[in-house]
Amino acid sequence: MKKYAKNEISLMQFIFIINGAQVGTGIMSLSGELAASSGTDGWMSLIIGWLLNLVACLLIIQVFKRFPDDTVYDLLKRLFGKWLSLLVVIPITLYFTIFCCLVQIKAMLYIKAWFLPQTPDYLIMFLFAIPTYMVAGKGLRILGRYNELVFYLTAWMPFTLLFVLKECHWLHLLPLFKDGIMPVIRGVEPSIYSILGFEVLWIIYPFLKYKEKATQGVIIANSITILAYIMATIICFAFFSPDEITSYHQPLLSLLKMIEFSFLERFDMIFLAFFLFVVSSSWISFMFMAAFGVSQMVRKQDHSPYVAIIAVLIIVMVFVIHPSWNQANEWQKWSSRMGIGVAYALPLLLWAYVQVYIRFHKGDTR
Amino acid sequence: MGNELSTKLEEVQKQFQLTPDLVVRHLTIQATGTKAALVYLDSLTDNEVINNDIVNPLLSEGPVNKDEHPFHTNVGNIRKGTEWADLESAILSGDTVLLIDGNPDAFFLDTKGWPKRAIEDPQIETSLKGAHQGFLETGTQNIALIRRYLPDRELKIKELTIGVRGKTKVWIMYLADVANPDLLKVLESRLAAIDVDSIINTGELVEYIEDNPYSPFPQFILTERPDSTVSQLLQGRMAVIVDCSPSVLVAPATFITFFQSIDDYSTRWMIASFIRLLRYLAFIIALILPATYIAFISFNYEVIPMQLLLSIAESRTRVPFPPLLEAMLMEITLEMMRESGIRLPAPVGQTVGIVGGIIIGQTAVQAGIVSNIMVIVVASTAIASFIIPSYDMGTAIRLLRFPMMIIAFMFGIVGIIIGLMILVAHLVSLESLGTPYGSPLAPFRWSDMKDTFVRIPLSKMVKRPESTSPLQSRRGKDNRRAGGNP
Repeated sequence: MKKYAKNEISLMQFIFIINGAQVGTGIMSLSGELAASSGTDGWMSLIIGWLLNLVACLLIIQVFKRFPDDTVYDLLKRLFGKWLSLLVVIPITLYFTIFCCLVQIKAMLYIKAWFLPQTPDYLIMFLFAIPTYMVAGKGLRILGRYNELVFYLTAWMPFTLLFVLKECHWLHLLPLFKDGIMPVIRGVEPSIYSILGFEVLWIIYPFLKYKEKATQGVIIANSITILAYIMATIICFAFFSPDEITSYHQPLLSLLKMIEFSFLERFDMIFLAFFLFVVSSSWISFMFMAAFGVSQMVRKQDHSPYVAIIAVLIIVMVFVIHPSWNQANEWQKWSSRMGIGVAYALPLLLWAYVQVYIRFHKGDTR
Repeated sequence: MGNELSTKLEEVQKQFQLTPDLVVRHLTIQATGTKAALVYLDSLTDNEVINNDIVNPLLSEGPVNKDEHPFHTNVGNIRKGTEWADLESAILSGDTVLLIDGNPDAFFLDTKGWPKRAIEDPQIETSLKGAHQGFLETGTQNIALIRRYLPDRELKIKELTIGVRGKTKVWIMYLADVANPDLLKVLESRLAAIDVDSIINTGELVEYIEDNPYSPFPQFILTERPDSTVSQLLQGRMAVIVDCSPSVLVAPATFITFFQSIDDYSTRWMIASFIRLLRYLAFIIALILPATYIAFISFNYEVIPMQLLLSIAESRTRVPFPPLLEAMLMEITLEMMRESGIRLPAPVGQTVGIVGGIIIGQTAVQAGIVSNIMVIVVASTAIASFIIPSYDMGTAIRLLRFPMMIIAFMFGIVGIIIGLMILVAHLVSLESLGTPYGSPLAPFRWSDMKDTFVRIPLSKMVKRPESTSPLQSRRGKDNRRAGGNP
């Protein structure tokens, strides 16, 4: 029985949904955080984070190997029954909702800070909600197409960083491991936070048309993400001096400010505006996952009304609270911890459980 | 219907009251000696055919073969009918009906003939090197124009009738071994589901069968060129010909098909690729240039370099309007000029151009109503929007720049990006006959890239586009290599 055959996605869409969900606003402040925790060796933490991601992704794929037509919701229901599974399902859905909300809030804060200081925050959130509903309300295939097109539309952006190359001082990066291995380990935590997002795999895996390509897909998706992150981080490290970089909130934006053309004074603004496209693919992906989760919990086929409901709730929340940078950062810490649970702990636990489960239920898994 | 000739004729007369062009000719068939009558509409039939090929043989020629019709004619296409409804529709479609005394059948002889115009150059889709034949208002002639290019028995035609009153004939043409049968089924069922009085034009038909009627984008190609229709048929698409309409519908379409022109394939590939890229650039300019101007002037002027900013500010000092109003004023004037240019007869049309050019280009600036820069923006937008080969796509883009201008005025660059986001979201969710409109970009199809942003040499284009999911994907082999060097 393939109940998701109608919305099957291709390998490319699979890759770009994962990649789109991963790349959010984190990249702007990442190099500063890494510099604070591990100095100029921080970029190596990203590689460790990448390896961890791959392990987690492969574990998730292993979990699904025996249940290729299940989303995490179906799987948990199968393993733990209708009611017990809610104990896990509710936090996962909540996590997706909160993350979607957070990405939007952060994007809104950037926009308020750089473009529209006078515009009320809920109005900006409302603007975000329109494309969100148009894409996430339609289904996974449309989401895949959107993320794919956004990727092509924004693929030029990392290369603009190369304009600052001639002002870079590569000596900043040397020597490697200047304070031993510990700082690199310490940098893993912030780097993991910024590359969370592959946990959408929990939901999109059964929609993939050719399951045997899933491994290939997650490797490519994570590598694209990490390459962009490493490139941005290394260039930031080489451009700013190691002490200077920690004083910036968003080193990447400060670096972009230095790029100037004879026909364009403030390149960073154009960059940031276009970056909104990239960020949109992140929050729209999470919005789909959240709405899909809710629809699974209330056992409805159509998830689109929940997109609207969640979007309205987020707008109302912003209208009431008016989140600030500090609040957003605080929430981010909490949600990232939840993310570690969903993205790293859950695969491990489920994988172990599934190993036991199939021992006892030989033959009736399919 | 009965056997008696006089009762049958009475019934015909009753059905066709107040029809002065109905002609009833009584005669005696020479071959059998029976009485008969010809009934036809004078206005829809070819009188010469009736006189020479029907009346003459009927009156003069001798005995007939028993197996065939009990009379002689020179008309090839003869049908038989027994129902009054058949008789009625035959007469109304231009056939001549032969009623014979003592024979329960009515014979419908094909004598269709009505006012036609000669084949002319296509008006909207002009081309430099393409054929100079455009479609006409007669469906059968349009089929002939297409068939001339494709003498292939796999070129199938399905005939349908649409409209309760109009009974418009509609033909679906496709290459049976290329076009995807699933898409054909979708198209057929949508056409069959139409229940209206009448279809006057192909554009009307489109509205009944398109996937999303609430989209500014055309989801089917409407063309008046036989050569581009044939090229689309060969790519695995289907053509719908509507009788009485000079444009032919081609489905399924993708976004990029509206940026391809038949000239692309007859000019050198480098030049064609350059022009193709120019069109995409024009698409972007036409869509966001006025919006960007508004956003930069009213929100983010720090983006503009100092010197340019100074000259813009200088030319704007005398303008009392906010940028949006200034831009709207000019854009709407431009649209009015374009529309009036279409409606006016050609000799008068030039006047509009001169008046527009002088008044809007120069005087408006001198009077301090708009700034110089604005005139440049509007002019380049106008030129850009006319580069797009498809008229329908061009108008869609011209319409879309107004909401873009408004959102840019409200939210600056962010507004433009949100607008583009909505546009992208709309384009990826749009479908044509259930196939993705954004293909070959989203979903990505590498092999279709050969004919998307650039047009690679035809000898390398060995496959039909995947976006039409054709049955047979190969359309030739690598012809360069096949020839070989001596």
